[in-house]
Amino acid sequence: MKPAAFAYARPHTIDDALRQLAAGGGQSKVIAGGQSLGPMLNMRLATPVELIDLNDFTELAYVRDVGDAIEIGALTRHYQLADSALVQAQCPLLGQAARTIGHYAIRQRGTLGGSLAHADPAAQLPLVAVTLQARIELISVRGRRSLPATEFFLSAMTTAIAPDEIIRSVRFPKAAAAEGSSFKLFNRRHGDFAIVAVAASLALEGERVARLSLGIGGLDAVPRNVDALVQPVLAQAPQAGWTEAAARAVLAALVPEDDARIPAQYRQELAQTLVQQALTRALERAITKRDGGCP
Amino acid sequence: MKNMEPQDITLTVNGRNHEIKVVPRRLLVDALREDLRLTGTHVGCEHGVCGACTVLVDGRPQRACLTYAIQMEGHEVATIESVDHEGRLSVLQQALHEEHGLQCWFCTPGIVMTFEAFLRQNPAPDEEAIREALSGNLCRCTGYQNIVKAIQKAAARMRPEQI
Amino acid sequence: MSQAEFHYIGQHMPRKEDYRLLTGRGRYVDDVEVPGALHVCFVRSPHAHARIRGIDATAARGMPGVVAVFTGADLARWTTRLRMAPPIEGLQPMEMDALPIDKVRFQGDPVACVVAGDRYLAEDAAEQVQVDYEPLPVVSSMWQALQADAPRVDETLPSNLLSHQQAVFGDPQARAQAAHRVVQSTFSMHRQTHLPIETRGCAAIWDAGREHLTFHVGNQVPHPYRTTLAGRLRLSESQVTVVSQDVGGGFGQKIALYREELVVAALARELKQPVRWREDRLENLLASSQAREDFCRTRAAVDAEGRLLSLELEIVEDFGAYSFYPGNYLARVVAMILTGPYKVQDYSYDVKVVLSNKVGNGPMRAPMAITSWLMDGTLDAVARELQLDPLAVRRLNMLHPQDLPYRMATGEVLEDITPRETLEGAVAAIDYADFRRRQQEALTQGRYLGLGICTVVESTTYGSRFYKAAGIPGSGHEAAWVRIEPTGVVNASAGLGPTGQGYETSLSHAVAEGLGVPMSQVRIHLGHTDIAPYGMGSRGARGGTAGGGTLYLCAGEAQAKVLAIARHHLGLDSPAVLRLREARVERQSEGVWLPTGLSLVDIARKAYLDPTSLPEGMSPGLDFHKTYDPPPMTYSNSTHVCEVEVDAATGAVRFGRYVVAEDCGTVLSPVVVEGQQLGAIAMGLSGTLYEHVEYDDNGQNLSGTLADYLVATAHELPHIEILSMHTPNRSTPAGIKGMAEGGVMGAIGALCNAVNDALRPLGVVADRQPLTPMYLRGLIRQAQHS
Repeated sequence: MKPAAFAYARPHTIDDALRQLAAGGGQSKVIAGGQSLGPMLNMRLATPVELIDLNDFTELAYVRDVGDAIEIGALTRHYQLADSALVQAQCPLLGQAARTIGHYAIRQRGTLGGSLAHADPAAQLPLVAVTLQARIELISVRGRRSLPATEFFLSAMTTAIAPDEIIRSVRFPKAAAAEGSSFKLFNRRHGDFAIVAVAASLALEGERVARLSLGIGGLDAVPRNVDALVQPVLAQAPQAGWTEAAARAVLAALVPEDDARIPAQYRQELAQTLVQQALTRALERAITKRDGGCP
Repeated sequence: MKNMEPQDITLTVNGRNHEIKVVPRRLLVDALREDLRLTGTHVGCEHGVCGACTVLVDGRPQRACLTYAIQMEGHEVATIESVDHEGRLSVLQQALHEEHGLQCWFCTPGIVMTFEAFLRQNPAPDEEAIREALSGNLCRCTGYQNIVKAIQKAAARMRPEQI
Repeated sequence: MSQAEFHYIGQHMPRKEDYRLLTGRGRYVDDVEVPGALHVCFVRSPHAHARIRGIDATAARGMPGVVAVFTGADLARWTTRLRMAPPIEGLQPMEMDALPIDKVRFQGDPVACVVAGDRYLAEDAAEQVQVDYEPLPVVSSMWQALQADAPRVDETLPSNLLSHQQAVFGDPQARAQAAHRVVQSTFSMHRQTHLPIETRGCAAIWDAGREHLTFHVGNQVPHPYRTTLAGRLRLSESQVTVVSQDVGGGFGQKIALYREELVVAALARELKQPVRWREDRLENLLASSQAREDFCRTRAAVDAEGRLLSLELEIVEDFGAYSFYPGNYLARVVAMILTGPYKVQDYSYDVKVVLSNKVGNGPMRAPMAITSWLMDGTLDAVARELQLDPLAVRRLNMLHPQDLPYRMATGEVLEDITPRETLEGAVAAIDYADFRRRQQEALTQGRYLGLGICTVVESTTYGSRFYKAAGIPGSGHEAAWVRIEPTGVVNASAGLGPTGQGYETSLSHAVAEGLGVPMSQVRIHLGHTDIAPYGMGSRGARGGTAGGGTLYLCAGEAQAKVLAIARHHLGLDSPAVLRLREARVERQSEGVWLPTGLSLVDIARKAYLDPTSLPEGMSPGLDFHKTYDPPPMTYSNSTHVCEVEVDAATGAVRFGRYVVAEDCGTVLSPVVVEGQQLGAIAMGLSGTLYEHVEYDDNGQNLSGTLADYLVATAHELPHIEILSMHTPNRSTPAGIKGMAEGGVMGAIGALCNAVNDALRPLGVVADRQPLTPMYLRGLIRQAQHS
């Protein structure tokens, strides 16, 4: 399958790229890793008139401590996230999730920006962004704006990016001292998109769960932050039954639909299992960190 | 539109520069196979799943079906033809031969390119890490077992002697 | 001769063909440079069933780089129709045009062909071809196909029932009536596709002066393919050369002459320019042959101990829309060999093959794969119902060595097989008793471990008498030549079609053994119809017995002539015992082999350049031809044992150990045989868990990409332990039996049986595939709620 014809631009600067994109009138598409866009082009599911190549902008591949957050450039490749010591130290959930993406070769090419823009309902990085309430920085010739991740994903494969915008960077909050996280997913084969994925990050204050960030992918058209749903259950933690109660609270509100291959009930059961596993593991890691060990 | 027309580009492949003319949508794998007559890189799916078309770009594995030739100016592409040296198989190729890690061989170049890079970055992988990396290459003939054995053998041979 | 007495056969030698392949210098059909070739792209139907009202290619013809657009009406002028009509009771004849003219029968059916300067431009133009379709009601399942008022897929036939074969042996119904219990089971296997990593493709070069077609294609049966291709183009066979050099996997998908390939050949002749086609993966998933969609029911009458008294089998197969190969094949093989290694004489089968609006079927590695799942799965069902141990039920019913030769109910004679030995070997290796102990312990912790056993008796070789009895046109013989050149090197050939199974190596073993030369001195030539002798190609695990066997015999004749020349030259009496070993003539004296100073080079020089020195009446040269028809059937056997854990929460299946004990007869190349076993098992496991060609109620193919049609990767497959327990066949050359499909059969059976063993405490049975987590979780949920 060969793509439909397109023109190709390889701008020298980011500003040039933004001008090119704006001039495209909605018919231009940017390409980064190409792992998601490439197949769509080759199968003619996407037929842009012009492709604008962002791969030269290595200045957008970075992981930086900016005080209260970790800022990650949009062109950062998945393997860089997976291997970054800074991510491991300050935002481990992100690294845990990145390590489950695809396989070795895919991780060499896929980018953070590309994954967020592609917005697959069960993808790892959108889920982590939503779970941690990351902020996504968008730029265009019209300027820059920052959106909370929870407002960025509108529907399956659909985001709030304007036709003339690109993602520039994403800011993830730093984990607290006694915070442990866990990323759990279930797929048919290793590396496939998840059927259901759960991201959890739990901060302890003494024995008490001070904060729980919890997100679910695969139950809805977009990844969902369910912090508010589990808030009432936090007081029960860490007594027996708290993870079941949390899972029940989530499933009472998030009701998936049947699709041809996967019944809704199956997704719900998976979510139940994975939420409990993720919460248990996140708590274990939080306790270890609190007590001074290495999780 | 005029910039959909064929354009002159320079592809640097296996250490040599090639001047060719390509339309922007021409897949790198097609340019390699037809314009440069390097037919060792194979087309298996054109949507990035099977891994048969894997080449190295600046030393890292990349699917040549998800890359457009025009994107490759200024980059170094390495294909399967660059791996053996004047007829001598690389350590990995030799191990694949000894362990019967190939049958029809259609998937093998993609595996060799992936692992030439992988083993440089991961000199002491365990079986789990090897199978994880290998999961990006589909093989229909071997069941993967002997490929894994070959990679383990190659890794062991490539490590400097332990005292 | 036993394996131990061979010098070259059975030696552990790495493959000879690896060098060119590893270094990127193979020659697959798409690697062949064809200067000036035009490229085709097929316009394919989006509908599963529709009349073609009209095709307007005006816009397409005007697009850049487009040379022409052709339809079924055009192709009908340059080709004949295919008639698939072997004279079999219960089999309907089917005909097929080069491209459909009246109607399309599956989503993806090609209706027009665009010819352009390159594939990119051809695809652009194909999008612009306007086809006016009148959609027709769709037959989307085998059950719908069988209904009396179903729409007819082929309107020349009275119904969608393509083939109906029935037979009764003994009196199974009477036995059932008198039995302690009749155990009924169903088995539903899903539609799959071969998925070679190299898709189809071909390149046609027409020499208008010589009126000769050179056709490059990756194909398993180059000579029969050439015969068909020539016939359909109204050419004589000598006007066609088929070249099939390196092929990236076949598995049965690359046997029949496909319509696309015929079109390419016809167009090269019409346009007087080379034409080529590269199938892309979407086309391969959409329009290349598929396989395995069978629904089966068994009724096993047993006594109180689980002994089989009779067995009744019903199968319905969904054959798709076209007959790329005879529809009665399944009936013949599956029904014939079903009872496998078990004793039962009262047996009946009823096999229906129906048409539907899906791609036509093609035999897929182990087309009879379902048999072992059916048979061992039935015994497991007996064990469940009578609360017996599954291993005990197998031991009770399995053939003992003293039962051989055993005449099956269907008339097949089993001999030189060792199922009991492989069964005991495999269960010992897995430590059956220990597993049961671990299984019980795990159950107390709420974990479900399972162990599945499957003993396979794999039919291989398929000699001519098999085809005759089955009414399938064609022969089972094979042809070979061996030619020793004046410099002493050995060239050899057979009519096989390599697709990656290492023939250059395994056949070198056979020639080396037959002749007495090192393997490195043997060069095997395959796949070129002007060079190789007319043989039946590669399918049904015949390469070893038929190909290797013929070459071994031919090489033996070569050695005989070489030694006759040597004897004459040395002035020896005929009782003097000579042999060729390592290309040197040796003489036996008082039990010891001594050099004679003569080598093959010396003999060759005489034969070619000094013929007057040859024995009286002997013709010059060292050029040998042989044909050989193997026994109608030979058998390999193996027992597969698979451990799994089923995760009750998610339905996921995780592998523990996998052991196979195999008897493949004399092994030409241990390296190749091991590779074939591992690959076959992988295909069976992958198919059972993941692979599913799904069509919806409108006949839309939902498995159009590799993101939908899932295949096991290195991460999903277990480590496989192989126990070799080879024993020779006493009627084939060198005792070869052949193998390469049994692994698929055993893997499917062992895995399904393992999952059901794990689910046994829950009282549920998985009777259909694929064994997806959703399906298994559904069964578990059902059990937990009741």
